[in-house]
Amino acid sequence: MDLISENLLTILILLPAFGALAVLGHSLYWKDDGHLKWITLGFTVVAFLISLLLLTGTPGSNGFFFEKNIPWIQAIGTNYHVGVDGLSLWLVLLTTFIMPIAVLSSWHAVEKRPAAFYVFLLLLQSAMIGVFVSLDLLVFYLFFEASLVPMFFLIGIWGGENRIYATVKFFIFTAFGSLLMLVGIIALYYLHLEATGAGTFDLLTLLATLEAGKLTFAAPVGTLLFLAFAISFAIKVPVFPFHTWLPDAHTEAPTAGSVILAAVLLKMGTYGLMRFNFPLFPEASRELAPIFIVLAIIGIIYGALVAMVQPDMKRLVAYSSVAHMGFVILGMFSFTEWGMQGALYQMLNHGISTGALFLLVGFIYERRHTRAISEYGGISSVMPLYATFFVFTTMSSIGLPFLNGFVGEFLIMVGMWKSTILSVTDSANWNYIATMAAGTGVIFAAVYLLWMVQRIFFGKLTNEKNRGLKDLTYREIGLMVPLLFLMVYMGVYPKPFLERSRDTVVAIQERVMRQAGGTVDHDEHTAKAK
Amino acid sequence: MQLADPNVNLTIILPEIIIAVVGIVVMLYDCFFPKNRVLTGAVSLIGIGLAGAALAWIWSGTGNVPLTAWGGMVTHDNLRLGFTTVFLVVSALTILISTVWVEQEEVAAGEFHALLLFATFGMMLMAVGNDMVVIFLGLETLSIATYVMAGLRKGDLRSNESAMKYFVLGSLASAFLLYGIALIYGATGSTNITEIAARIADPNFPALLLVGGAMLIVGFGFKIAAVPFHVWTPDVYEGAPATITGFMATGPKAAAFASFTRVFVIGFPFIAGAEAAGYLHQAWISVLAVIAILTMTVGNVAAIMQNNVKRMLAFSSISHAGYTLVGLIGAGFAATTAARDEAVAAVAFYMLTYAVTTLGAFAIITLLAQRNDRRAEFNDFNGIGTHSPVLAFTMALFMLSLLGMPLTAGFIGKVLVFRPALEAGNTLLTVVVVAAVINTAISAYYYLRLIVVMFFKERTTSWTAPQIPAAVTAAIIITVLGVFYLGIFGNGLIEKFSRSVTVAEAQVK
Repeated sequence: MDLISENLLTILILLPAFGALAVLGHSLYWKDDGHLKWITLGFTVVAFLISLLLLTGTPGSNGFFFEKNIPWIQAIGTNYHVGVDGLSLWLVLLTTFIMPIAVLSSWHAVEKRPAAFYVFLLLLQSAMIGVFVSLDLLVFYLFFEASLVPMFFLIGIWGGENRIYATVKFFIFTAFGSLLMLVGIIALYYLHLEATGAGTFDLLTLLATLEAGKLTFAAPVGTLLFLAFAISFAIKVPVFPFHTWLPDAHTEAPTAGSVILAAVLLKMGTYGLMRFNFPLFPEASRELAPIFIVLAIIGIIYGALVAMVQPDMKRLVAYSSVAHMGFVILGMFSFTEWGMQGALYQMLNHGISTGALFLLVGFIYERRHTRAISEYGGISSVMPLYATFFVFTTMSSIGLPFLNGFVGEFLIMVGMWKSTILSVTDSANWNYIATMAAGTGVIFAAVYLLWMVQRIFFGKLTNEKNRGLKDLTYREIGLMVPLLFLMVYMGVYPKPFLERSRDTVVAIQERVMRQAGGTVDHDEHTAKAK
Repeated sequence: MQLADPNVNLTIILPEIIIAVVGIVVMLYDCFFPKNRVLTGAVSLIGIGLAGAALAWIWSGTGNVPLTAWGGMVTHDNLRLGFTTVFLVVSALTILISTVWVEQEEVAAGEFHALLLFATFGMMLMAVGNDMVVIFLGLETLSIATYVMAGLRKGDLRSNESAMKYFVLGSLASAFLLYGIALIYGATGSTNITEIAARIADPNFPALLLVGGAMLIVGFGFKIAAVPFHVWTPDVYEGAPATITGFMATGPKAAAFASFTRVFVIGFPFIAGAEAAGYLHQAWISVLAVIAILTMTVGNVAAIMQNNVKRMLAFSSISHAGYTLVGLIGAGFAATTAARDEAVAAVAFYMLTYAVTTLGAFAIITLLAQRNDRRAEFNDFNGIGTHSPVLAFTMALFMLSLLGMPLTAGFIGKVLVFRPALEAGNTLLTVVVVAAVINTAISAYYYLRLIVVMFFKERTTSWTAPQIPAAVTAAIIITVLGVFYLGIFGNGLIEKFSRSVTVAEAQVK
């Protein structure tokens, strides 16, 4: 047992990779594709169960648990350093939770080369978990890039008609961003070398040196480094105007790919900002916060407006992602506990709700092979259960009270409202204006999502082809139930989630706001709860 | 006149001797018993293995081998170790890969193997030589062997054209180089690198040195195919047999880099307080910085437009020369000897990663392209991911390594060569690194394109999976393992390459 708990994160990273080997070996040796999905499902479920052990961890003195730090390539000065804290814990669990669902969602959909499909899916999982637990900048970069390749193939081989364009665009956008980050990472190494006489890629060492005041960034350097990291993450999120790869990638990806893309891959961007940008470059974070807040608001409104006019269901959901991730960015850059906790919470919500929406779109696509909204209408009469689930998920995505989306958006809005980051002088009340502008996004979300629901499900059944549609199968119901359960649970009782992440988030917030002379604003209620 | 002690020492050049002797043996054997392909190949491989063992033995320090010998004309330092390893790996892989081509087209294998060994001998001289004359001898030995190899496909017009072009332009480059050596001798009174390094600090700095240095840049620029001296590369690479193209893109290029590094980084160092030497240093760094940016950009942009995979790899090799130059410039800027050794090791390591990856790619091209390299267009790779998934995924791996994806050799190589340039904290060098990074992103397009056609396009023409001879299978397995080994466990090798001479010496005592 000790062996497991000591190496828990390594096991979590390697288990899916071994799963990939198992799938490969099985398909090469027996030349039988029937069992592959069961093997994949088995590995993802076991990974999920093991990942639940993470909840038993207690943070060490530096806030991390299940930490592991061993030298890797000493010539470069990089260590294999992993650990989880309140920030990454939920994202790792989200990853392991969503993977079995993604596997099940493609149960019958993958006819072309299933072995390769499952291999890439499992490799993707390894890379994603690696991203969330790496505490060494170079190792993080490595997993960040490695997650790109499986997704590139997933979209490129099993995607829709326009898949090649979409996947190459996806790859080049993200690769370009992450290469800039690589320059930033290497530059940090040398700045640390100059300041202390020893270069390092270790995040915690860098933070400690910064904390001790031994390493400071001269005026443009801090901002440039911030940008090197932030642009890479902004592309991944995606923040307007870097979002153009997302609708293409989402639309062309197979259902499992879309679900993972929405649920986990986008979160790497927001996670990276919180994990690296804020603690490493607090001054630059404060300085550039207004720009990111403006971009976030543009993203919220623009994403919503464009979503409204999409004729394709999947594209509509994709644009809604742009809007939702705008909220996350807004909350993070408010630099209040409410806002940042809300942002983290909204990351999870978006993963669950949007993931569910992509699943639902996938279900109907498998039946009718079209995603055009105009092809449907009035299908609630033939697929009542499907309609119920869809409406429910839509409500969660809109942010109806007592469902998860509400909690996140509410926290973000309160956080922005109370934020001091925009107050250049005492008289200016930009934070109120920003909150109100973002608030319109909630209304827009209701408009585009409800309008889509109305056009698909209600009214008369006009298209004869839809008359024979079968309602959800047991497999599909089984897929949706855990998601629906979480939507309610997280909407009614967010406390366990927020409590676990609180310390980490507050530490980041304090770090950013401390030297600003700005007030460090704690939410008294949760402080008491603690 | 006093005669210097030539301190003859055979052990220091033992690897070179082994390769030369085996080369002669193979050539003579082929005269009397021609067309014994397997045997000459095996003997060559054994020779390369012995040379590698000799190199390892010298480096282990047990043989008490001096650091320099032959009147300072040869030296064994980390530069020599790193690059010689590259050459031996390249030659061994080339022999393995060539079997399919040699069989299919009935090449005179004995000649080919002998030439390859002579070329290897030339390359090794270029790395071990600490005197411009030795370097030039090595270069000529290498070049003449390579000119012939490019034209080995006698019946093919393109191969003839390739050999002719390579010969004419290569001779031109050699002339430049020789002229540069002469001018530098005129300026410093020596052809010995160590002597030159000591003499450039002289305040009576002759402008001749600058002109000589410029000539050397032109000469070496030709050999590494740096822009604007690159125009011969695509035609020569496309026309030569794929195996030879793979060799030319990796071996001679690495050899030129070895000498380039030796002459500029070690011969023209920055000397604190010496104004004249500082001027020379600044001049060559700036010129090479511009050349590096041009090389990467032109190579990449041109590679995007190619429809032939061999040609694409030719342009990609140009851009890789650019990345390597970034490491060379960084080495030139290193503040301490230890930092310089590390940067030199980075250049050698980069060439090793590039060689392993590129040779793997050429092995697969040789397999797929069939006789006379007829099928080397992008279209010919359409949809083979479905029909020969193992080959296609291997090729994809090589492409990702060339692109520099993490966990592959290419990534570690790139990080290593970019690092010293960033360490300098010099604005110009930072610009160079940023340009290199942007270029890496550009290169994603054409490397991915091959993956795209292999996996995402449907095959319209018929496909018969190629027969893979055992030797090529071995080469592919070695390169695949090499890509992962260098990418994940490269640590030990990098440390060996960057171990400075003084450390090796200390271990002897």
